[in-house]
Amino acid sequence: MKPILEIKDLHVHFYTYAGVVKAIAGVSFTVYEGETFALVGETGCGKSVTSRAITRLIESPGRIVKGSVIYHTKDGRKIDLLKLPEAELRAIRGKEIAYIFQDPTAALDPLYTSGYQVAEAMVVHRTVRSWKDGIKRAIEILRSVLIPDPEKRVKAYPHELSGGMKQRVVIGTSLSNRPRVLIADEPTTALDVTIQAQILKLIESLKRRHNATVMLITHNMGVVAEIADRVAVMYAGKIVEIGNVFQIFKNPQHPYTKGLLKAVPNPLIKVEKLESIPGTVPNLINPPPGCRFHPRCPFVMDVCRVEEPPMVEVEPGHQVACWLYTKR
Amino acid sequence: MSGEEYQKSVLDRVSDLFIELLAKLIDRVRPGWYERNRSKVSEWKLMAYALNRSPPGVIGLILVLAFIFVGIFGPIIAPFSYRYFAIYDAPGSDLAQPGTVVVTKDNRTLYFPLGTDHFGRDLLSLLLQGARTSLVISIITIALGVPFGIILGLVAGYYGGKVDELIMRITDIFLAFPALILAIAFAAVLPERIHEVLQSNAWLRDFFLWLFALDQKDAGILSRPLAVILALIIVWWPGYARIVRGSTLSARENLYVEAARAVGLSNRTIMFKHILPNIIGPVLVYITLDFGGIVLMEAGLSFLGLGAVPPIADWGRIVYDGSQYFPRAWWLIFIPGLVVILSALGWNLLGDALRDILDPKTRRSIEFKLKKRRREE
Amino acid sequence: MTQQPIIKVQNLKKYFPVKGIFFTKGYVKAVDDVSFEIMRGETFGLVGESGCGKTTVARTILRLIKATSGRVFFEGKDVFKLKGDELLWFRRKAQIMFQDPYSSLNPRMTVFEIIMEPVRFHKIEVGDPEDFVVGLLETVGMNRDHLYRFPHEFSGGQRQRIALARILAMKPEFIVLDEPTSALDVSVHAQILNMLRDLQRERGFTYLFISHDLAVVKYMSHRIAVMYLGKIVEIAPSDKLFEEPLHPYTQALLAALPIPDPEYTRKKPKIEIRGEPPSPINPPPGCRFHPRCPHAMKICKEKEPPLTQVEPGRFVACWLYTGRKG
Repeated sequence: MKPILEIKDLHVHFYTYAGVVKAIAGVSFTVYEGETFALVGETGCGKSVTSRAITRLIESPGRIVKGSVIYHTKDGRKIDLLKLPEAELRAIRGKEIAYIFQDPTAALDPLYTSGYQVAEAMVVHRTVRSWKDGIKRAIEILRSVLIPDPEKRVKAYPHELSGGMKQRVVIGTSLSNRPRVLIADEPTTALDVTIQAQILKLIESLKRRHNATVMLITHNMGVVAEIADRVAVMYAGKIVEIGNVFQIFKNPQHPYTKGLLKAVPNPLIKVEKLESIPGTVPNLINPPPGCRFHPRCPFVMDVCRVEEPPMVEVEPGHQVACWLYTKR
Repeated sequence: MSGEEYQKSVLDRVSDLFIELLAKLIDRVRPGWYERNRSKVSEWKLMAYALNRSPPGVIGLILVLAFIFVGIFGPIIAPFSYRYFAIYDAPGSDLAQPGTVVVTKDNRTLYFPLGTDHFGRDLLSLLLQGARTSLVISIITIALGVPFGIILGLVAGYYGGKVDELIMRITDIFLAFPALILAIAFAAVLPERIHEVLQSNAWLRDFFLWLFALDQKDAGILSRPLAVILALIIVWWPGYARIVRGSTLSARENLYVEAARAVGLSNRTIMFKHILPNIIGPVLVYITLDFGGIVLMEAGLSFLGLGAVPPIADWGRIVYDGSQYFPRAWWLIFIPGLVVILSALGWNLLGDALRDILDPKTRRSIEFKLKKRRREE
Repeated sequence: MTQQPIIKVQNLKKYFPVKGIFFTKGYVKAVDDVSFEIMRGETFGLVGESGCGKTTVARTILRLIKATSGRVFFEGKDVFKLKGDELLWFRRKAQIMFQDPYSSLNPRMTVFEIIMEPVRFHKIEVGDPEDFVVGLLETVGMNRDHLYRFPHEFSGGQRQRIALARILAMKPEFIVLDEPTSALDVSVHAQILNMLRDLQRERGFTYLFISHDLAVVKYMSHRIAVMYLGKIVEIAPSDKLFEEPLHPYTQALLAALPIPDPEYTRKKPKIEIRGEPPSPINPPPGCRFHPRCPHAMKICKEKEPPLTQVEPGRFVACWLYTGRKG
């Protein structure tokens, strides 16, 4: 497997009124070419921030404090996206690394037609020669994201489309330049289950057709199980466990991963009582010392309160950051 | 979010002290209040810090406090009565330059730091007295016009439908007239009627004389400033009806309003306890800005000869009278003009700062600025 | 669970007018002829996708919005005709917990005021108010320290607990739970859901549980009704619905449900439901699901299938099961 994105020791801080929020504190992981990599965690765990930091889409008061994002280009060069001049980064962002955000309504400009918005990305990155070609390509793209009657829909304004249709247009926009990496940040959270299934299927088939790499950001364990190859579980700005989807679901190691899986009802199994994780997510201005999960952990030991656990491999490709698996 | 995280300036300590004092005072009246409202008090402190970090806001606050202070105590600290016509005691003391010293027939020396008007009245004393006129007019206008507008706006926004249509169309009629022209019309017509009312109600007359700090002899012309107040109220409430209606329309969509309805609370309780407190922020900002507007408009009306007439001291009127002697008596125009501008400016600066402070989003950013740049790790 | 209905809904309809410039252009048939019963002590789940009318059903039952037609009985009394003291009694006995805890608590009131306001309004005898509120807070897993704080100082889960304490203060019998956990984090979900279940066991509450999340509905409910475009298409006991869904829409919903089990999802047959729900302004004639239904027949386009009992306790509105009699 060839790596395509290597995130190393990423730190992102937000300088808010209440103090410095250490949203991301030393996140490292590698995404391999052609896989679907899922970053899961609850609200505020930093999964979204991580995905945006990859192409420096962090807005004030946030700042990338430390770390590197190595991107392997098609011709085999390695470039650090965090050190790239803005102009060069812009040529990569949207073209080679494209995003799909959660809220399709916010992602589309209500003043322009859907065709215009799909064509715009291509015109900006000069993948088409003229606007006219762009619109023609847009029709093809809308057809490829399974929008019925694309000749008519290119002329439709966002308010004339349903939520699912809008998300298809957004996906179309992201795919218009045939990106190598598609970062989908909660792409189906705003949608209904039946539509969600359609969109997930669409992303999968497009990924296969374009041979793209997908990085999926979600809080929904069901969606992860459905389409991910490898999974990283985040908690309070850190990755606590990484593994392939079977390792994570069948053999979870970190107490947080275990808790998370038990807190989600599986409708196929008769559950007498859901197990809940006591307490709440810590505030990241003054995160707990040591392991950030220790105040909520049922297996907490003395060492957890003082020292941060390192990432250790428990089986091939399956890493966990927990003192339970580390010999001191 | 505790106070310790802030690098406090002297100003912050002063405002802390002041707020603590206020909180203790309330606690004295209603025992246990402080304990129950700790969150509220620390919120107030944060707001004060935010204000302290906005230089225009602080300047505005100082100007406003000065305006209120002078409005209250001006007539008392004025060196001369507004009815003291030096011209009778010392001929030639009219239109005296700032800094003039005049000796009267009975050998008293009179000092006029800001000069005199054409009756030989001390300009400084007139300005101090005029502050009272301005303050009373603006406070009464706001105190009567704003609640009226708020209630109509609340009712219109909360009930919607036909009630809303009716109230807002009436409001539109008032808004359709240019405010100044409407005020001029009312200020021209009203004095007669008010005069009659004052004639038959001695206590009312005495009350207003006391309020404006006027001499009994001026009872006859009291109706003029009162007419201005009425005119201003008439042109001022529709704005509030409209703002409050708009905010109510969005506030009533909040689930806590539906929650209140679900437990059966009356519409009145919902309007005044659940909607009004949540939309009062922007209204407060408008009130502050409008104080400035009213000071300006009142001065304008008097300048046009529609408000107070001499001997009642009024900033606009002083400028009008002084304009007859321009450019010789420049101080009669520039000094009162400056006073009017500074008062209006003070309210506006404070209003703008308040807008930022009361809006949680911008307040956060102000608060952020005042944070100690702590070591990041 | 005693088999005695506490809530009876009969032919409930709620149409919202769509206003044009001059005339009413049409009606959104948010709830169109819905009938069901909720037994005392049970949790009745109402699932459906956004815009299917499930929340409108709840609000109409509680008389928060006016029904277009139909009747609702609460403990045998016609809710839409209640007045005066009887209406107050209803407002006390029937409560609602909202989806968004960030908007359901007045930001200008402390926790104490939020909980005590309805108590004072209904003149409920509570002894020392402070002790009473602390008692409620402890029931929902909070404590005395939280008494005089404002909502913005709490997390979503804590706010939902406060909302629950306010409901408990009224000593209700029937509670509508309108997606109570969908705004919360996954790890907090279970805390709230378990607390609701425990409270039901202790105090015999009856719940109407509304959600778009089938997995959660299954965990919470004894019986489930599935709604599609303003109509109930299927009512079944919770387990039965999952074992053997009858209506094609229910089948599609279950197939689309992401299951947190990678081995299962890689094996399961992919039944895809095509298209999107049509607009409720001009719903399709006949069965409203027919344009998306894989089994659509001629009759489905012409005639609306009635909700009929196919076996004890199971109702379905589909011509596949109704014997095409009409």
